[in-house]
Amino acid sequence: MKKLRSILGNTGAVLTLALAVLAPFLLFGWFQAAIGAAHLRIDPTYSGGQISHVIDRANYRIVVNRPVPRRSPLQRIGPFVQLAWTPAASLPAHFSDDVDLDGDGTPDVRVAIDSRNLSVDVTPLGPRYRPMHSQGVTSFSALIARVKDALVVRIPLD
Amino acid sequence: MPDRVLPTPRRSIRKSLLLTLPILLWSLLMFSRTLIEPGRPAKLAAAATLVFMVALFFQMMRTLETNRWRRYFFVALGFLFPVGFIWQLFALRGSMSIPVERMLSGDTPFCFLAIPMMILPAAIAGTVIFPGSILPTASNPHAIAAMVALWFAATLVLGKGWCSYGCFFGGIEEGFAAIPKKPRIRRLDPRWRWMPWAVLAAIVLLSAATLEPVYCMWLCPFKAVTEYPAVRSFETAVQMGIFITLFLGLVVVLPLLTKKRTQCSFLCPFGAFQSIFNKTGAFDIRLDQSKCTPCVLCEKACPTMSITPEAVRSGKPLMSCMKCGACVDACVRDAAVWHIKGTEVGASSERARLMCLYSAWAFAVMFGGSIIAGTLEKLFGLVV
Repeated sequence: MKKLRSILGNTGAVLTLALAVLAPFLLFGWFQAAIGAAHLRIDPTYSGGQISHVIDRANYRIVVNRPVPRRSPLQRIGPFVQLAWTPAASLPAHFSDDVDLDGDGTPDVRVAIDSRNLSVDVTPLGPRYRPMHSQGVTSFSALIARVKDALVVRIPLD
Repeated sequence: MPDRVLPTPRRSIRKSLLLTLPILLWSLLMFSRTLIEPGRPAKLAAAATLVFMVALFFQMMRTLETNRWRRYFFVALGFLFPVGFIWQLFALRGSMSIPVERMLSGDTPFCFLAIPMMILPAAIAGTVIFPGSILPTASNPHAIAAMVALWFAATLVLGKGWCSYGCFFGGIEEGFAAIPKKPRIRRLDPRWRWMPWAVLAAIVLLSAATLEPVYCMWLCPFKAVTEYPAVRSFETAVQMGIFITLFLGLVVVLPLLTKKRTQCSFLCPFGAFQSIFNKTGAFDIRLDQSKCTPCVLCEKACPTMSITPEAVRSGKPLMSCMKCGACVDACVRDAAVWHIKGTEVGASSERARLMCLYSAWAFAVMFGGSIIAGTLEKLFGLVV
């Protein structure tokens, strides 16, 4: 028994050494591929959630995401819906869009944007949404920010 | 202080060189691309790092001391990592603060300290509560999958030894702890040792409940020297205040007063999490009771207070032992020894030390060495 434990221990030590040598050539790649294949996704609080539909305009398009609900009673970041105007370079300095958030064909909110000073006014066109004014980033659930090639607006939900 | 009862051993230069040869070849392999790349600063940095890492390993072989030489590497890593990181941040966006825009675009470099907090939400909902990206992108090479893969491989090889050979944050406090000759505070309440476990339990549960990386947002002292949320509100100002206070208190002042790694011992939840992997590793440190007097030199030398009178009686350090080798270096009776699990204690301690060191140093050259070389390249670029 003592000898067997010793053999197992020494085998473990040799394997550890082998793993150290293999790490940069094989292990990192394997582990990274395994994690990539685990279908994990970034929490929608940060990613903005999945895309619901895209509204095309003459010079730009509006990517409307699915609403991100509050998923835990202790979660500080409230529910919101994310919209992204892209490409940001094609946007006028001031513009206003009536946006259908739920994809039923009827506009739900009017979004007025000052793209130079990054401020946004949201006026609800129905009872389900509430008004919002935001200059820059107020919180993760109420903001207007330039993210890569898009102007992202998050509208808080009740 | 008791005198060394055994003569100070020293290996011959020839044998030390032979034992260093595998690490020299490994280092050449790891830095080969940089050494042949055009650009003098990069070449110089790679060459300097290679010489530094190989020389330290040679000294470990020659003097049979581990911690004394490991510490030079670890402190260099600890101090050069923030320099390189902050340099990169200023080059990218002119500031250490991370704006929300960058979080939304998934460009936050992933930090291994967030791993324990991710596990529950990832297991339950399949989501990662970190504003990064899963796979590496052009704008974020330090993506979650890459960093978790690196951590996992390191954990298989090093276990809790990550805290001695891999963690670039630990090197900062180890540097400050090395400055005073003697500690000003000698007695620390041993109950503080439970604190990292309490912090770990709290942040894992709170992160799962709030779906936010709570430690990163509220407690991480190293935000003060890396990347922190842009101060745009009272809340972010409070967060920044906490980061700076914890950094100054636990990473600078207390290590200077106690000569211990106080952040690792009293706060770090990742260190507590990593302690679990001490159970799975092939190597550990043992305290041979037949040789132990006990003189408590090992207890005094241990930077994480992992050796207690009870641990000495049981023959092994607590599971928070990070295999730095300080106790083995300090023991004058060779009672503290490196050990391969399953084998007889003390029977082949030098073989155990060698195998553990080859694994750990191979990782250190590849990971820490590349960080050191990266920062040196930037610094050399200023003068060459």
